Amino acid sequence: MARLMIRERLEKISFTLPAPQGRLKRGAKTLLLGREADKGLLFRIFMYLILADTAFIYLKPVLYMMTTMVKDADSLLDPSVIWVPRSLYLGHIREAAALMQYAQSFGISLALSLSIAILQTVSCAVAGYAFARLSFPLKKLWFAALLFTFIMPPQVTILPSILMFKELGWLNTVLPMVVPAVFGHGLKGALFVLIFRQFFSTLPKELEEAARIDGASMFRLFFRVMLPISRSAMVVVFLFSLVWSWNDAYYPAMYMLGAEHVPLSVSLSRLSASLAGEAEGGGMSVFAEPIKMAGSFLIILPVLLIYGFTQRWFVEGVERTGLVE
Amino acid sequence: MNWLRRRFSPASLRSLEGSLFIAPWVLGFLAFVAFPLGYSLYMSFHQVQITVTGIKTMPVGFNYYREILMSDGGLLYDDLVPFLRQAAIIIPIILIYSLLLAVLLNLKFPGRTLFRVVFFLPVIFASGQVIQELTAQGEGGLAFLKEMKADTFLQTYLPHAWSSTLLGLISSFVLVLWYSGVQILIFLAGRQTIPSSVYEAAKIDGADPWSIFWKITLPGLTPFLFLNLIYTVVDLFTFPSNPIIAKVNTENYGVSSALAWIYFLIVLLFLGLAALLFSRINKSASGGRQQ
Repeated sequence: MARLMIRERLEKISFTLPAPQGRLKRGAKTLLLGREADKGLLFRIFMYLILADTAFIYLKPVLYMMTTMVKDADSLLDPSVIWVPRSLYLGHIREAAALMQYAQSFGISLALSLSIAILQTVSCAVAGYAFARLSFPLKKLWFAALLFTFIMPPQVTILPSILMFKELGWLNTVLPMVVPAVFGHGLKGALFVLIFRQFFSTLPKELEEAARIDGASMFRLFFRVMLPISRSAMVVVFLFSLVWSWNDAYYPAMYMLGAEHVPLSVSLSRLSASLAGEAEGGGMSVFAEPIKMAGSFLIILPVLLIYGFTQRWFVEGVERTGLVE
Repeated sequence: MNWLRRRFSPASLRSLEGSLFIAPWVLGFLAFVAFPLGYSLYMSFHQVQITVTGIKTMPVGFNYYREILMSDGGLLYDDLVPFLRQAAIIIPIILIYSLLLAVLLNLKFPGRTLFRVVFFLPVIFASGQVIQELTAQGEGGLAFLKEMKADTFLQTYLPHAWSSTLLGLISSFVLVLWYSGVQILIFLAGRQTIPSSVYEAAKIDGADPWSIFWKITLPGLTPFLFLNLIYTVVDLFTFPSNPIIAKVNTENYGVSSALAWIYFLIVLLFLGLAALLFSRINKSASGGRQQ
């Protein structure tokens, strides 16, 4: 506070000193450049320009997707129609939904990603807590193993995993994706363990020491004290896990290739494969694009809705948990 | 619990509890990471045949590795070399771009929430099949560069290998930006760790924003720069559009495993280089400050 007051006074002094003409000039300069660089008009305009440009780059594919999927044949063939279609045509969405068996795939995707998200949130919290606060034999080795898991491309282990799950009879079910999540592995599991480790190591130690003196066991301490106060980290991990497993096409495509009922991401690639087949047969190539766009839109629509409701958690939660370091 | 307490010293009791906490993760690691890892290493040295009765393996030694690295260039080099070249350009672009955006988004201005919502969109879909569909539609390009005939310019003035890399990059440039969502988040989170009192002090001392950025913000963000470098390398090498990834398939287990291992070693090499570069920069930076 004292510093601020001194600064204000200094500024007043410097403003009273110059001649009237100089003051005018300085006023214009302050308006354009600002007393601090991030307050000036020029900087502001420049900043908004950059931000608006990049925001447009991010939004353009989504807008393109949404406008293309409602174009009917006339609008598609008319070269003067780029963004705004002449009329709203919902047939492509219906067709894409039918081709993707939307209701069924949606149910599978939802059940799969929800169960993975819940399991990963709990199991990665347990592992992250152990790495942050507990002592156990070979801790350094296991931490190295964690980092190794983080940087390893999944392709290195995918083939033996397929063979292993085949032996177990789990292929073409959701088990190969759900069971690793029980143990804190699976899609980006290592990253989530690292996030929790980071979060728990920033909490004050006094909490645990107090509970220990009261004679609480480790499990009581963890589930009664640590988990409830780590809500912000849990929400971040849960949301990321949910959204990433929803989007993931690699694991389902590998493990559920021959399955009859597949998650949405796989049914989208099946949809585009069947459209490509039709196009080769000389079929409806004009409509292939809007149908694919409609399929893509149907996949991201639920995610967009979740994001719309939870963006506060995504944005602030990540900053507050100190996701990183 | 009481008999446990009588039997073990507090230290070993703690370590027992800790072991119980980490046990599920370790079990999972052994089952879903270590075992497949070892098995894929084993398979890369064997010819694998899947028969009705089971899996038959025949040792072939280093043959697959030799084949991929020496004789059959198509499997690795044709795709990998252009990809690595592209990676060498993409990584700095992503890092600088996300740093810039994070610094901008950290300022307080009207409409900040709206922009933040937009800039976190990539975190949400960049991982999916949807992006592949959009790339296939040519939505990833920068149309204005094409209008300015940048392609012919590049083709005239650069060697073919680099000009085709750059052109490929231009045609998917928007996707590069799409892949910097998490990096922006990490930088934003990192920016919060620099105390605002440092900035106030610098302003009172009359430092201009330019030197504040170079002397305070950038050094403060260096650990996060490294983290982002690692994250970008890992992310880039597991891109769904990565050409090598499609080559690891169930057609030939032995060759695919050898390819995956070679690929993994290249990733490790890249990460090692990044770490080395980073420690060099860090050392020279801190050495410079001491003088």
